[in-house]
Amino acid sequence: MHILVLGLNHKTSPLNIREKFYIPEEKMDFLISQLKKEGLKEIVILSTCNRTEFYVFSENPGRDLEVLKDSLVGLLKVEEGWIKEYMYVLLDEDGFRHLLMVASGLDSMVVGEPQILGQVKEAYRIATFNNSTGFLSNKIFHKAFQVAKRVRTETKVGYNPLSISSMAVEMAKRIFGNLSQKKVMAVGAGEMAKIALKNLKKEGIEKVYVVNRTFANAKKLAEEIVGEARPFSDIERLLLEVDLVLTSTGAEDFVIKKDDVVKAMRQRKFKPLFIIDIAVPRDVEPSANDIENVYLYNIDDLKELSHKHLIDRLKEAEKAKEIVETEVKKLPALLRQIDTKPLIMHMIDHAERIRKAELKKMLSKMKNIDDSTYRSLDQLTRSLVNKIIHPHIELVKKEGTYEVVEIMKKLFQFEDFNERENKSRDEG
Amino acid sequence: MNVQFFYISLSIYIFSTLFYLLYFAFNRYLFERIGFISLFSALVTHFISLLLRYFEGGYTPITNIYESLSFFALCIGAFFIFVRHTYGVHILGSFIVPAISFILAISAFLDHDIRPIPPYLKSYYLPIHAAFSFIGNGIFFTSFIVSLLYLIVENYIKKKKIPFFAMRLPSLELLDRINVRCISIGFPFLTLGIISGSVWASLAWGSYWSWDPKEVWSLITWLIYAIVIHRRLIVGWKGRKTAFMMIIGFFSILITFIGVNYFMGGKHSYL
Repeated sequence: MHILVLGLNHKTSPLNIREKFYIPEEKMDFLISQLKKEGLKEIVILSTCNRTEFYVFSENPGRDLEVLKDSLVGLLKVEEGWIKEYMYVLLDEDGFRHLLMVASGLDSMVVGEPQILGQVKEAYRIATFNNSTGFLSNKIFHKAFQVAKRVRTETKVGYNPLSISSMAVEMAKRIFGNLSQKKVMAVGAGEMAKIALKNLKKEGIEKVYVVNRTFANAKKLAEEIVGEARPFSDIERLLLEVDLVLTSTGAEDFVIKKDDVVKAMRQRKFKPLFIIDIAVPRDVEPSANDIENVYLYNIDDLKELSHKHLIDRLKEAEKAKEIVETEVKKLPALLRQIDTKPLIMHMIDHAERIRKAELKKMLSKMKNIDDSTYRSLDQLTRSLVNKIIHPHIELVKKEGTYEVVEIMKKLFQFEDFNERENKSRDEG
Repeated sequence: MNVQFFYISLSIYIFSTLFYLLYFAFNRYLFERIGFISLFSALVTHFISLLLRYFEGGYTPITNIYESLSFFALCIGAFFIFVRHTYGVHILGSFIVPAISFILAISAFLDHDIRPIPPYLKSYYLPIHAAFSFIGNGIFFTSFIVSLLYLIVENYIKKKKIPFFAMRLPSLELLDRINVRCISIGFPFLTLGIISGSVWASLAWGSYWSWDPKEVWSLITWLIYAIVIHRRLIVGWKGRKTAFMMIIGFFSILITFIGVNYFMGGKHSYL
């Protein structure tokens, strides 16, 4: 068996081409059934906004590739030239490596992003649902999920947040741990504030206050993210109550001065305060960071941290690639494994048929035998047959290599191995 | 027998230490599991060794430096199990367990033999006074480690330079909560330790308080922790200041526990 990958991604093609190849979920069933009609047996289709890829498992990849290409032109209404220009074809080890990289998020636009694994799993689920997976595809995909998990636990790729606002949330968690009983005051009601507040909401923050010079805007944002709008003059009072402050106004001067914070901290009995200042120019006097139990981060601090994380991620990605490589080396062994279930079923069946036939022959020769003799004979033949075929079955199970299977096929007269397998699958 | 059990437990502690260090380095949950299970078995073995010593010697084995270091380590371990269970701070083990092993390794070099104890130690107050004091010490040792971690975490957050192991350390708030818990449990033990000691002193030496160096330093220690509690409630010495004071408090414990004997003498000179 071979692994064949035909696909395109964000590295090989522009968005307007990827759009053409995008296959929405509701079309997936139809597409798979069409491709099966064309003679592809095991196929998994992964289609996201960054990639569309066809994973084909086949005895004859050359033919199947041509079939697939032709079908795509007809089914997706894409031009033949695009396939040539933008799509990559990967065979066996290269294809397997590619799948592992994709599932682990190493081939993603944002290296290590976690969503892709879910998308691969979903693609596999749809394929299973449509009966387009088989022995090899099951094995290969499960391996990919396993490797993706290993990459996630053994390297720190995908560990660190990259955006400014998720970086801010991350730091808040470093300080407060759980945010579920914390309150935040947003000073300024712009787009940046909205994104950051949404992120904080996702972490389950208890209460959001929105303060803005134009009260209407505060109200609008507060409604959108389920918070409470307060007048601008409430800042001092709220400083006593909240745990986080997020400033993003367009003001030229400092909106919150160091002295305001010093005063507030004394009254708060130095309960820690995390101030995120994402405004340019800055809204909070920088020296406020020197106050005991006050942590002030501005946009540059957050940018620098997330940039450092990006570099860390790329370093970690190297480690992850090593994990992938060690798994790729094991592919030949994986490909050599053959689905032995039908053969084993046949072996048991075959022996049983011989036993029954011989028993019948014997019974017709012996006349007037009583029930207990019959039962003894039945028992005897059964245990004889079992004793004889048992080691054979064990051998196939344990060392289901190509050579062993071939010998067994001959011994047990199992010629039509593949045909039978396919037939039973079509029926099922 | 007690010495054999002591060595067995020490080797399991070292084994556990190894896995807790691996856990810190690689952040694999499995390492922590192994580390914790072996820590637990080490504590059980250790406890058995103390029991055996109790029966073999016929006295509560907290009478000299070897015995009290050993009991001290046991208290730290037991309290760690409580903290780990209550707050889920597994990573704390990567600091506590090596410390336990270190303390026991030192005590392994000291004289293990069971010797006749001075007559004035043969008292019901020995187990009471020693147990209260060392349970308190064990708890304050934990808070010492927690406070060090607090300062490390607070420092990197303040300086905005995040080291690679930052993700593995608990949040500031959690560390502070553990610290508060340590004082609220440790302080009563420390107080009871001093009170029982002073009652015992009145029986053994005829006076509740005789300004012996041990007594003076335990009073200083007590005052340091009392200040932490007071300041925290009244002025709000949250976080960093509490952590700082807990570290100073523990140094004071060290002086009371060991320093006094080696450098100041006094009546409490057996330990």
